[in-house]
Amino acid sequence: MREWVYKVQNLKEKIFMEKDVIIVKNLSKNYEYYKKEAGLLGSISNFFIREKKITQAVDNISFSITKGEIVGFLGPNGAGKTTTLKILSGIITQSSGECLVLGYIPQNLEYKYQRKFALVMGQKDQLWKDLPAMDSFILTKEIYGISNEDFKKNSRELIELLGISDIVNVQVRKLSLGQRMKCELVAALLHNPSVLFLDEPTIGLDVVAQKNIRDFLKQYNEKNKTTIMLTSHYMEDIKQLCDRVIIIDKGHIIYDGKLDSLIKKYTPHKILTVTFNGNGVSKEQIKKYGFVKKYNPYAILLEVEREKVKNIAMDILSSNLPVDDIIIDEVEIDDIARQIFMEEQKN
Amino acid sequence: MKTYLAIIKANWQRMLTYRFTILAYRIGEVIEIIILILMWSAIYSNQDIIKGFSLKEMLTYVLFGSLVHILIKNFVYDRVSEEIKNGKLSLFLIKPISYLGYTFALSVGQFFFITILSVITHLVVILFFIDKFILNFETLYLAVILIMVILAFIIEFLIAYLIGLIAFWTDETTGIYATISRLKKFFSGGYFPISLLPSIFVSVSLYFPFAYSFFVPSQIYLKKISIEDGLKGLITQIVWIVLLYLIIKIVWKKGIKKYEGVGI
Repeated sequence: MREWVYKVQNLKEKIFMEKDVIIVKNLSKNYEYYKKEAGLLGSISNFFIREKKITQAVDNISFSITKGEIVGFLGPNGAGKTTTLKILSGIITQSSGECLVLGYIPQNLEYKYQRKFALVMGQKDQLWKDLPAMDSFILTKEIYGISNEDFKKNSRELIELLGISDIVNVQVRKLSLGQRMKCELVAALLHNPSVLFLDEPTIGLDVVAQKNIRDFLKQYNEKNKTTIMLTSHYMEDIKQLCDRVIIIDKGHIIYDGKLDSLIKKYTPHKILTVTFNGNGVSKEQIKKYGFVKKYNPYAILLEVEREKVKNIAMDILSSNLPVDDIIIDEVEIDDIARQIFMEEQKN
Repeated sequence: MKTYLAIIKANWQRMLTYRFTILAYRIGEVIEIIILILMWSAIYSNQDIIKGFSLKEMLTYVLFGSLVHILIKNFVYDRVSEEIKNGKLSLFLIKPISYLGYTFALSVGQFFFITILSVITHLVVILFFIDKFILNFETLYLAVILIMVILAFIIEFLIAYLIGLIAFWTDETTGIYATISRLKKFFSGGYFPISLLPSIFVSVSLYFPFAYSFFVPSQIYLKKISIEDGLKGLITQIVWIVLLYLIIKIVWKKGIKKYEGVGI
């Protein structure tokens, strides 16, 4: 016990020294569950004999995040991203290891800590569906004990920044997904948190709404120096918002560093997507431009070296192929993660 | 306190959007009472008194008891077990508010709203059967009954909340709740006065909280239970509230360790 207190104090000092807002050390989380077999017979046998299984959702991860950073937390489904966010917000308790956010142990569920952070989940809504968002904002104000002046100031600013003044008085269940997400963000930020955890904030939104939310987060972070940790499936979210990414797979951190260097190191290629009209093209006609990842006569995916991509795009455009459209893209984040993971395993 | 008032107010507003549903529920309540009245009238057609109850007393018991029953009703079980199962509890865990306090405020909000409507529909039914209803306007009796009903409301809330918490351990809580609800209704005298059963049954029941949400208040109203015994009942209720609260604290602490916040 004493050792633990000592460790915590050590960590607290570390925050003070390094301005680290989030510190995670050797964090692990196991889930226990019972194996369920398929079919009726399986179900009957499960009724009598249950086999206990353990999955390691997070396995000995460590990282720290400084004030004002926006960190992208990436990885395939089930990698442990959400589990980590849940531990950092105190919803669940880790199996081993320590974490400290703003000098607090999240699992203590202290009101003091809860008034300083917010968690927004793209797939869980906290607004009352039957009421206009404004009513939920007022409820949030009371729950967090926000003063009248602060509430007025913050809500006006947030509503303006997100451009939703015309919808805050409409019943939430009549809003579109994008509008609802914007209202969720207002509700989460009313108490002006120092740390913001975002779990898939743009999931299921159309491109315009995604962009709106990204722009908002960027501005908000610049203005308030809020530390943001965000998970997303969309490469665009990460590219626009985060300087730093942490990639996690099967519970392990497999990359932690600048996004730029990640892209340079692991993706010497870019992806060229070319669509054709008319009679389309044959595989032979395009083979010379680069490695063909996907092919059909009207749309191809080419892997091209980073430095050469502009020239090759020009070549294709100026050739006599019936080009309809051409797009230059980064490799998908999931592909990068997979690639890193495979290399790790080789070593 | 202000926080809880805001929750109560928001729940009022929410329920106002479901005017029709709430009215429809009241129709069901009225039908249930009328069935009970018809049933007892049929049973009494051959005799005047059953175990010390005249028909008039029995109908008063039914009408008054079901009014109490409706006053203390809550929807806490569904809410708590659902929010644990679908992971929505997470949203409360990260907020500076106690979940118990939050759900209680919601129930109080619901209480005020449904109360008014229920009391109105009930008074209409009572007026309709006024010649078969015994009136008792003695303040002392009514005061004891009022306190008893408030305490019973809290007890009902705590029991439903506690059963809801079982969802931390298993997804299959609905069966448990349905069974307990039926037992509760039986032991509370909701089907018939428990004094029709052997007397040992009544004396044991008085140590449990259920009888105070139907049988005892109705009996006090009928002056079949004395004020002194009524006051003893209030103490029993308070002891149960403390006990249930402590059990909830322990169960919550254990449950929250098991909680995995699924679905987020």
